[in-house]
Amino acid sequence: MDPQELKTTAAMAMVELDESGVAALAGAVDQMLEYFTTMAAIDVKNVEPTTQILAASNRLRPEGAHNNNPANTVARADAVLEQAPDLEDRLIAIPNVL
Amino acid sequence: MYQSFIGLEIHVQLQTKTKVFCDCPVTFGDEPNTRVCPVCMGYPGVLPALNGEAITLGYLLARALNCRLSPVSSFDRKNYFYPDLPKNYQITQYYQPLGRDGFIDLEFRKKKKRVRIHQVHLEEDAGKMIHAGDMSLLDYNRAGTPLLEIVTEPDLEIGEEAELLLQELRRIVQYLQVSDGNMEEGSLRCDANVSVNHRGEGLGQKVEIKNLNSSRFVRKALTWEIARHQEILDRGGTVTQETRLWNENRDQTESMRSKERAHDYRYFPEPDLPPFRADQPFLEGLEERLVELPAARRARFREQWGFSASQVDFLCDQKSTADFFEAVVAAGGAPDQALFWLAGDVRKLLKRSGGDLLTSPLTPQRLAELLDLLARGRIHGKIAKQTLEQVFLEDRDPSAIIHERGWKQLSSREELLPVLERVLEENPLPVEELRQGATRPLGFLMGKVMKATGGRAEPAAARTLLQELIEAPRRVSSVQVLSFGGAIAGTRREDGMIEPGDLVSLAELFQADPELPDSILFEELRLGRFLSEEITPADWATLLVRIAGTLDQGGVQGIVIAHGTDTLAYTASLVHWFFADTPVPIVLTAGEGPPGEGSRGESGENLRRAVLCAASGSAGIHVVYGDTDFLPLNLKFERVDSGGGNSFRTWNPEELLRSGSSLAPVARGVEQEELTRCLEEVLGQTCIVRVYPGMRGDILVTLMEAGIRCFVLEIFDRGTASLREGPFSLRNALIQGRERGVLFFCTSQQEGVVDFSGYVTAHALWREGAVPMGRLTTESAFTRLVTAQVEVLCEGEARSRDAWRERVLALMED
Amino acid sequence: MNNKTKALPRERYRSFLEHQDRAIGSFLEIGAPGVWDCAPGNGSASGDDPPRGECSGENGPHLTDLPLAVKDNIAVEGYHLTCGSPMLQSLKAPYTATAVEKLVEAGALVVGKTNMDEFGMGSSTSNTPLGTTVNPWDHSRVAGGSSGGSAAAVAHQLVPVALGSDTGGSVRQPAAFCGVYGLKPTYGAVSRFGLTAYASSLETIGILGSRLDELEAVFRVIRGEDARDQTSRAWPRGDDEGEGSRDDAPPGTIGVLQGELGLSPGMEKSYRATQEALTDLGYRLEPVTLTTLDYTVPAYYTIAAAEASANLARYNGIRYGHRPVFAENPGELMSSARSEALGEEVKLRILLGTFVLRSGFQDQFYLRAQKIRTLIAGELDRVYQGVQALLMPVFPCQAFLRDQEEGMDSFRQKVADRFTCTANLAGLPALAFPAGVQDGLPAGMQLMGPAFSEERLCRVARDLSAVFPLQFPGTSRSFSEWRQGSDAARGGS
Repeated sequence: MDPQELKTTAAMAMVELDESGVAALAGAVDQMLEYFTTMAAIDVKNVEPTTQILAASNRLRPEGAHNNNPANTVARADAVLEQAPDLEDRLIAIPNVL
Repeated sequence: MYQSFIGLEIHVQLQTKTKVFCDCPVTFGDEPNTRVCPVCMGYPGVLPALNGEAITLGYLLARALNCRLSPVSSFDRKNYFYPDLPKNYQITQYYQPLGRDGFIDLEFRKKKKRVRIHQVHLEEDAGKMIHAGDMSLLDYNRAGTPLLEIVTEPDLEIGEEAELLLQELRRIVQYLQVSDGNMEEGSLRCDANVSVNHRGEGLGQKVEIKNLNSSRFVRKALTWEIARHQEILDRGGTVTQETRLWNENRDQTESMRSKERAHDYRYFPEPDLPPFRADQPFLEGLEERLVELPAARRARFREQWGFSASQVDFLCDQKSTADFFEAVVAAGGAPDQALFWLAGDVRKLLKRSGGDLLTSPLTPQRLAELLDLLARGRIHGKIAKQTLEQVFLEDRDPSAIIHERGWKQLSSREELLPVLERVLEENPLPVEELRQGATRPLGFLMGKVMKATGGRAEPAAARTLLQELIEAPRRVSSVQVLSFGGAIAGTRREDGMIEPGDLVSLAELFQADPELPDSILFEELRLGRFLSEEITPADWATLLVRIAGTLDQGGVQGIVIAHGTDTLAYTASLVHWFFADTPVPIVLTAGEGPPGEGSRGESGENLRRAVLCAASGSAGIHVVYGDTDFLPLNLKFERVDSGGGNSFRTWNPEELLRSGSSLAPVARGVEQEELTRCLEEVLGQTCIVRVYPGMRGDILVTLMEAGIRCFVLEIFDRGTASLREGPFSLRNALIQGRERGVLFFCTSQQEGVVDFSGYVTAHALWREGAVPMGRLTTESAFTRLVTAQVEVLCEGEARSRDAWRERVLALMED
Repeated sequence: MNNKTKALPRERYRSFLEHQDRAIGSFLEIGAPGVWDCAPGNGSASGDDPPRGECSGENGPHLTDLPLAVKDNIAVEGYHLTCGSPMLQSLKAPYTATAVEKLVEAGALVVGKTNMDEFGMGSSTSNTPLGTTVNPWDHSRVAGGSSGGSAAAVAHQLVPVALGSDTGGSVRQPAAFCGVYGLKPTYGAVSRFGLTAYASSLETIGILGSRLDELEAVFRVIRGEDARDQTSRAWPRGDDEGEGSRDDAPPGTIGVLQGELGLSPGMEKSYRATQEALTDLGYRLEPVTLTTLDYTVPAYYTIAAAEASANLARYNGIRYGHRPVFAENPGELMSSARSEALGEEVKLRILLGTFVLRSGFQDQFYLRAQKIRTLIAGELDRVYQGVQALLMPVFPCQAFLRDQEEGMDSFRQKVADRFTCTANLAGLPALAFPAGVQDGLPAGMQLMGPAFSEERLCRVARDLSAVFPLQFPGTSRSFSEWRQGSDAARGGS
């Protein structure tokens, strides 16, 4: 993979890669991709992909199963919100200088 | 000439109790981040658990949109980073959506269209990001709300169609209870793809428009954007493929100008959710949840009760209204009355109380009861209105309220006799005149009766009893003759010219007539002394208010309007738009000269026939001329001096009706001064332009600048006009008009139906927003437009230019 | 088994753990006794019984006071959930995984969270800056990974059982390196709810233990359908063999791999010894060739990386986890957070996964790998028509050196997953078991069977335990041994 391609991929993955980062990872990436290309040797014509192994039959969550107590809902939300690095009241704040 | 292609991506929030993949409640307007849990906040280790109701509602809508339902549907991950997307991938359906290849049928301005639905799929909503100074604030309450995405093929051409599609979709989701369909709260959101190209050259460069959170914005943004593309193409430029945002404050689309990173969503199957199999029991369950959809219901309502398009649009817009209406009819209410009251007073009262039909104190049974009392003459209109108000206030049955307040109408002999006797005693002079054969004092005495009973006397019964008591000459019919100028009421001067005058005394005219039964009581009213070309807005107001008053008071067998020939086509159609629902005949007639001159258009003869027609009791509006009883619409006076003489002819007579419902239920209730003011205002902003070869389009722009808001364009054939580039094209004027909110209604210089079919120039007119008037002639279309605008004014709601436009268009639609 | 056992002396046990773990670094966090059963204040009465749970009773299994260590990528309320990553170093789990919830309900005590390779990406438990775990048998060697902390804790006799997770061998390989049992259940048999996702379609919570009966008891508690994991499956009805397991193969037949397997001499020896042991025990060995074996690792890493690229996208420093000191806008915030707080190996796999999913490359990589997966599952299906289980080495070599120069490089570590990741690609159960000690280090073998054949695999392993008795490293002391020693030191007061 050329460095530009690697940078494009990194941008999609939201990983910053400067020149030294590219240099550090390029070798390992190439090695793995080359390894992946060995897959080309096996014939997969007319083979369906398996995206889920042993897929279960229809699994649905019934609507009635929800927690009806609003207090519990809020308590659960509080526990989740506690972890936020920066809060403005109940809103999670992130910098955004326009 | 251009062609435009619009495809929509519509997101519908489903009305489930809980989110699509977790059990957080789905609510709107809660305190931020109170409806979140580890699952919808994308904590490590959590898994989605598909909500069964969400997938059921999804399939239900796909079914209603005529999609081919997927026997197996599965979920995929759509990968992109955005702060409001907790997992930084969205669970959606890419490879196997719920349904594909559906359609919605639309009809916009006579053009029917089947808009193909590419696919319908289920996905999760993101949170909300709010900008505040140098930071952004995140609320994830919405994250994980079930969304259905509906993707249409690029089958739409103009903003109006897109708006219509969204409105129809809103109705469908509301009918199915799949979603509340509320665009303001974001339950229904829309992105649009649009491209414009020279006709016949296929799709152009595609632009995506986001942030369209009302159907109105969809229309405005698309109209604006298509115009932008056309301008670029006019200059020979190329449209840039990009994403734009609708800026509602500046009424324009704006480039997002973000780094246009090529989107690569790297879709792949969601490993955390097994595919869903829509088996037979599931599909049968869907059928049970289907309801009659809005389009089918509108068609049925039209068929079943003969309602107009705008009437069924009103009734079927909300399922609750349609259900209520049908319940009223089932409970015995007359359909047209039920509609009249629902569209009028009930709607007003609901608006005032801020409630909706389902929860209001008015039940279908109560409305049916009220209509029954009215129909049986137990109460009259004014009392019915008061009673309805009390039902809303007291939450009680109308009969109970009427009984308690003593609002019942006086119709029996026993009830009326004491009142009438007192009135006769107090007014000896008019009584005496009546006995002598005069007719006018009868109205005077009726007025006294009404005053004495507080308006509760039933007019027909009171009038009959009054005549009986006076022992006036025995007459069973009463006809009111309104003299409205014209040669029929004119006199011929010595130099042969006709000048305005008073109608020849009818009694005189008919005394000599042996054929005329003596059982008709005439009541003459002179409304003006002018020739018919001299009619002013005030004259029309006088006439309309007079007819409304007579119809309201009742007790008249028929009304005759003596008019001139020149403008009869206008007045007759105007009267039709106002009073098409008249229970008694309203007969217009005219003559080419003063009565007694003897010719085919002989005034005296016409008048005589008109009176006979009025006395015949044949409801609806008639135009009597010579020996023909014409319809009030689409009249054209033809001067054919040779042979059969001059007469009227009706254009496009097929499909025209003598009666129908009034276009102006509100306007016909206002005072004369008010109506005059409205007519003056409306006539001041409405204009007929007959196009001609070589006509410069700028003329229309000049008229717009002078304040014209509505045009009737009399164009060619089935609706064609020059739409080429250059000064002789209407295109520029139409585009400018659209920007100014000016309306264009098209009629033809030839007989035939204007539906914009058959020619590319006609289709271009349709694209530019002109409204085809179908079978209506210029005169009939014009008076309809006047009536519609007057009605909108009298409705008295403060409306934006846009809302005004909407309302007028709605009243013009049929 | 109705004798009421005295409660575990929690405080003393806790100090035992802290003291003993210093040598091997298996734990990232040892909980205050109050959180062990997620019910603070439930008491820590003193008693003298060894930390052994009471297994199986009339009405389902009971695990009263069974101490349990849990890999730090499984959520347990009251504990952190670091996943071995600086990204989540400060994260407290706001909920508890279904499997853990069931165990606590059955009486088990979660005493702490164990070290691991960052997000499960590694075979050494060295791919993490949060702690250093060594192999209890030889401190210069790795404990294996990614569930190295759990394996080391069990081998060092700190706990009898521990939970790990197995995406491509992450339970079995460290179990083999540390000489304990390691079960990777059938995909879907145990709820993944609460297991931090690395490669969702491949991984499962697994169990590491020093005794098979305890391991099985834990498995019976945690298996079964979970409403919160819609890929979970109900355990087949009937006996514990289960309807789901195939019985079309003749009883007592075990498949063994043919040909050159590229094993180290020690492993080669051990593989042969295990085959001989099975023959001696009366099993019939059938030679098996897996034609897809050469493709398993590239297919496995393609799929794992692809899923990881999406699964790890959620770590962006906004809602929880590491946030950079400075950023001007959301994009910068997210990318700085990820760049600063994710390790090199994690970034490598995210980049690979992002790439193999990109349009234009997806067919050639991701889609092809998923098709190869179909071929692998198909081939195994045919194999299990002839044999009841397949005997394979776990890893081509025994525990390698921690020293990066002398140890195994990261690419070779990946290639070495060839015997383990097959089970993950096909979603089948596999049990790693100790097969003797070679040159002072444990050698681990594994049995892989058809879906839901866990009980059968345990039976075969139990038979083999007569030949390969469990051994602990010389330095480890169990709680009872330690307590006796410390009592003596205090003068028997």
